[in-house]
Amino acid sequence: MSGTVLLECEDLVKVFPGVRALDGVGLRLTAGSVHALLGENGAGKSTLIKVLTGVHSPDGGRLTWNGQQVHLRSPLEATRTGIGVVHQERNLIPGFSVAENITLQNPPSHRGLVDREAMTAPAVACLAELGVDLDPQRPVRELSVAQQQLVEIAKALYTESRVLLLDEPTASLSPQETERLFEVIRRLAARGACVVFVSHKLEEVFEVCDTVTVLRDGKSVLESSPLADHTHDDIVGLMVGRAHAATEMRPRTVDHTATPTLVLDKVSTAGGHRDISLEVRPGEIVGLYGLVGAGRSELVKAVLGLDRITGGEVRVHGSPVRITSPRQALHEFGIGYVTENRKEEGVFLEQPIIRNITVTVWKRLAKALGFVSAREERDVAQDLVDRLGIRVTGLGQNAGELSGGNQQKVSLAKWLAADTKLLVIDEPTVGVDVRTKRAFHELIWDLARDGLPILLISSDLAEMVTLADRIVVMTDHRIRGELDNDRDYDRMSGRVIRLIHDRDAVRS
Amino acid sequence: MTTSISPPDTVPEEKAATHRMPFWVNQRLGLLVLVIALSVLFGVLRPAFLDQQLVLFPLLRDIATLTVVALAQMVVLSVGHMNLAVGRMAAFGAMFAGLGYDRLGVPMQVGLLMCLAAGAAIGAVTGWLIARTGVSSFVVTLAMDFALLGLVSLMYSSLTDDAAFTTHPAGIDALRSYSLADICAGPICGSPAVPQIAQFTVLAMLALGFLYGCTRIGRELLLTGANPAAAELSGIPTGRRVLLAHTLSGLLAALAGFMAAAGTGTFRASIGDDFMLPSFLGAVLGGTLLTGGVVSVLGTLLGTALVGVIRKGLDLLGVGLESLNIYLGCVLLLALSADRIRTVVSYRKVVRST
Amino acid sequence: MNRLNVTLGQGSWGGSALRRFSRSTAAMLLCVVVVGYVALGIASSGSFFEGPSVRVFLQYLATPILIGLAQMVALCVGQLNLAVGALGGFTACLMGVLMADHGVPAGVAVIVGLLTATAIGLATGVAIVGTQINGFIVTLATMTILLGAQYRLTGTRTVDGYSRTLRDFGTAAPLNIPLVFVTALVAAALLAAFMYRTVAGRRLLAAGGNPLAARLSGISTDRQIVAAHTLSGLLIGVAAVTATASLPGVNRSVGGDWLLPSFAAPIIGGVALTGGSIAVLGTVLAAFVTRLIDAARAQFSLDPSWVNLLIGLVVLGTVAGGRLHQTRLEKSATTDGAVLPQTGGAQ
Repeated sequence: MSGTVLLECEDLVKVFPGVRALDGVGLRLTAGSVHALLGENGAGKSTLIKVLTGVHSPDGGRLTWNGQQVHLRSPLEATRTGIGVVHQERNLIPGFSVAENITLQNPPSHRGLVDREAMTAPAVACLAELGVDLDPQRPVRELSVAQQQLVEIAKALYTESRVLLLDEPTASLSPQETERLFEVIRRLAARGACVVFVSHKLEEVFEVCDTVTVLRDGKSVLESSPLADHTHDDIVGLMVGRAHAATEMRPRTVDHTATPTLVLDKVSTAGGHRDISLEVRPGEIVGLYGLVGAGRSELVKAVLGLDRITGGEVRVHGSPVRITSPRQALHEFGIGYVTENRKEEGVFLEQPIIRNITVTVWKRLAKALGFVSAREERDVAQDLVDRLGIRVTGLGQNAGELSGGNQQKVSLAKWLAADTKLLVIDEPTVGVDVRTKRAFHELIWDLARDGLPILLISSDLAEMVTLADRIVVMTDHRIRGELDNDRDYDRMSGRVIRLIHDRDAVRS
Repeated sequence: MTTSISPPDTVPEEKAATHRMPFWVNQRLGLLVLVIALSVLFGVLRPAFLDQQLVLFPLLRDIATLTVVALAQMVVLSVGHMNLAVGRMAAFGAMFAGLGYDRLGVPMQVGLLMCLAAGAAIGAVTGWLIARTGVSSFVVTLAMDFALLGLVSLMYSSLTDDAAFTTHPAGIDALRSYSLADICAGPICGSPAVPQIAQFTVLAMLALGFLYGCTRIGRELLLTGANPAAAELSGIPTGRRVLLAHTLSGLLAALAGFMAAAGTGTFRASIGDDFMLPSFLGAVLGGTLLTGGVVSVLGTLLGTALVGVIRKGLDLLGVGLESLNIYLGCVLLLALSADRIRTVVSYRKVVRST
Repeated sequence: MNRLNVTLGQGSWGGSALRRFSRSTAAMLLCVVVVGYVALGIASSGSFFEGPSVRVFLQYLATPILIGLAQMVALCVGQLNLAVGALGGFTACLMGVLMADHGVPAGVAVIVGLLTATAIGLATGVAIVGTQINGFIVTLATMTILLGAQYRLTGTRTVDGYSRTLRDFGTAAPLNIPLVFVTALVAAALLAAFMYRTVAGRRLLAAGGNPLAARLSGISTDRQIVAAHTLSGLLIGVAAVTATASLPGVNRSVGGDWLLPSFAAPIIGGVALTGGSIAVLGTVLAAFVTRLIDAARAQFSLDPSWVNLLIGLVVLGTVAGGRLHQTRLEKSATTDGAVLPQTGGAQ
């Protein structure tokens, strides 16, 4: 039983405007194995999963199921074939009950009528397998993030797939919940299924997986190889594309006596943050590290006036301030925020690059009657395009046609155009290829070298260790501790993980 | 590597298509060609179509009015909103002008100002409601349409005997019937086909062209429409821009209401009844996107002109009034399907070049 | 109890159903209807409770209920249907002309009308999905086309010489409850059952509630959009039948004033424009409220324009108030970590 190849793909290609998301990927999934799918952000993992589950149709390459070539035209076809999935995005219907969401793909029905009673038993069974106790009749919109994540996994279990793809299933789970998920994964594999596990937490991968495929820049650089043959460092090297030596940067010092540009003093917010204290000095990169859902971006948005600050004090350049809108933050205090959600909050996809960059400076360029000189505008934009090396065919090109990395540069460029005095950079290298990532790191480093204070938010620990001077660790809307960075990845990651795990010791 | 600087009366549509596609797919040029070709065709089929005083003059007067209506819609579309109450805002504004002439005996210009102020005020109220509550503009303007429909009729029936203000201030009759032929520089007179009332349309187009093409506020309106979340985070006061767009829309709608009333000679509640469809037709055919972020002032004129020419031409060809709507609906669908094909083609091109 | 609640349109199960109902939009509307009706009765010194008044009141309630439901079905997948009035008017005129001019029996004419309305709804849905053009524009275009077609059918005349059978159906009112009103209620009940009990109905709601998730679960959102427009067309067909049966004759103005009420009922009833939520009971009750306003106007012999003004203000008040209330709820809820987008409305 174990050892038969269930699903195999060769030379898959998938193209989106401006990026070759998959560029020759091979993958062999055998029954009874737990297969790790690794790669950095933007390497093409999620795209591969979407191709394997019929969401996207590939632009090239072959897919075979049990030795026969298949074309998965829709998610339904993939499910029927026997491929189940937990996607990274939230995929629940908010108004439906837990039971109905779990059975959504194939609701128990009788002559076209939904059978709600028959829905409960399998839903409870799936939840019980995960060791979760939830009322199957509750609407999912009332559940917490972690509970929703578990419902998604239960939903994938319900389809009883031969191949189960889990895209970052543990991002918002506690260690106990994660451990229970691993038991389920091992059980499924023992029953002859193949589980594909996508995670950026290598410890988890080594704990549960036996086979590994590594993607880089849309290509598979390691294909379906036994995990036992590789060390932790091998894998990281393959993912990053070179030995994992921290990028050498020109030295940079921070003047610790200078007045901090931004100080949060025991700040609490309406969003649930309590007792947040941190400070950022000129020329310093302060890292704010935490997992998805820890409340990092929400904290920044509260400081920018998008949520209420209910207690404590925010000081900019030493004086207490009350910021009510991003506009005030920009024009009065010179605070810029490069958002993590590039496509939805960062760039104007359907607008030309020139407008994307100059949006923050129109106020400054405007003359009588609000007239903005097209020439001055173009000069500002061209200067930044040259400075950041943004690859464009013209300033009139729409931002949506650029690759992820170039879009991110555009998103950053508008703040540099505005000469901000403090920059908050949120997950700068999500969905950015390795080379651009490196360029980005150098860029951020040099900005700090020139004296710009930077608050860097990232869930990429390697990035943190490379860039930050101090790392502030946040979980559950609270700060768990602050570490001085000595740029030694292994030591730092251990210390950070310990800080995060302390929280669980406290909680359980 | 350069982008062209557009003249103030056009707004760069700056879609990817413009600098990669051959010129013949340019939407505005296509519209212009279509308008001229159709006019020639109708002129050949029915020489009466080119009669300056009897056909072209009223046609251009209608186009002038409906262009302003379409501009009123275009302004809200630029922030990604809609105004279903354009017609009723026109009626509301015109009512104040009529009230001024009839009851207060004000001169024509003062009445016009009252009309514009009333329209801007009701637009501002709408915009404020939308910005404050975050409810979709569709619902708010729909409800506003209801409310104004009732309010305007009630006020006409309580203020007048026959539900209309018929007092004509000095100058308004001139607006209705004078054309450029009445303006002479020495021996050279203008064309009798172009109505003087078109001056308002030209003014509105120049103002909006300047706003969207050259100013900070215009750009901010467009970006608010393109992506409100990103605009807010980039320091654009999106709430105020939404308010401004709806205020401008109310003002333009009122202007159109005044023009329509001046054209018929009476101020009554039914002004603007049939404004909603042309407002969307003109703007959308002209290349303004429903999703916000892209407008075209010149395109709006051309879109409206196309609709007007088709309407008039079919009318002269003996196609009954009843069937006109059928053709107009089909034109709308066809034009937009063509647009869709263009988008798909440009998407494919981008994918292939990657 | 459980079954009853489900069919009434309060998709909640178990013991909390009653508690949830008491806090819902529908409960509030029910109170408004009861209080308003009693107040009108008192103001008219009792004549409003008498048989004939009740009959007239209910008879002209059938069409508003049906067009509200038709719009609600489109809204539940996140679409709009601007062609409600035009399609209804066209269908009514089509049936009238068939019966009066061509001597088609009432039964056949009604079936042809229903089929035509459904087919046009289907065509609209296919056009939206096929061209990927915004549904707003497509239904605006179909509205224009249908208005023209309606005008072409009837011209300026009023078609009134049609079947006795249909007329009888329109006026029949055993126990002072008009059959057309019963028809509307049956349609509402069937729609509720369809939405809450059938797989097809759940698919519609799933596609409206989270299109991406629905797609990933193997539900074709395109097909749901087509289905919603088709169902919407069918309901408009039924509305056209009730309108034709109750009116003295059909002409080109039938359906002209349907568009606004069709949106008012679901919106007051608590349906979100973003899709994914429906409220059959709420929509029916909201139609009651608007009818009450109309009846009150007639009672106090006010200008008909008052109705539009009041309905406009009620809708504005409902959406603004509801939105502010929801924002407050969200603010207090963020601490619980609920992150799914609120779709609002009675689910």
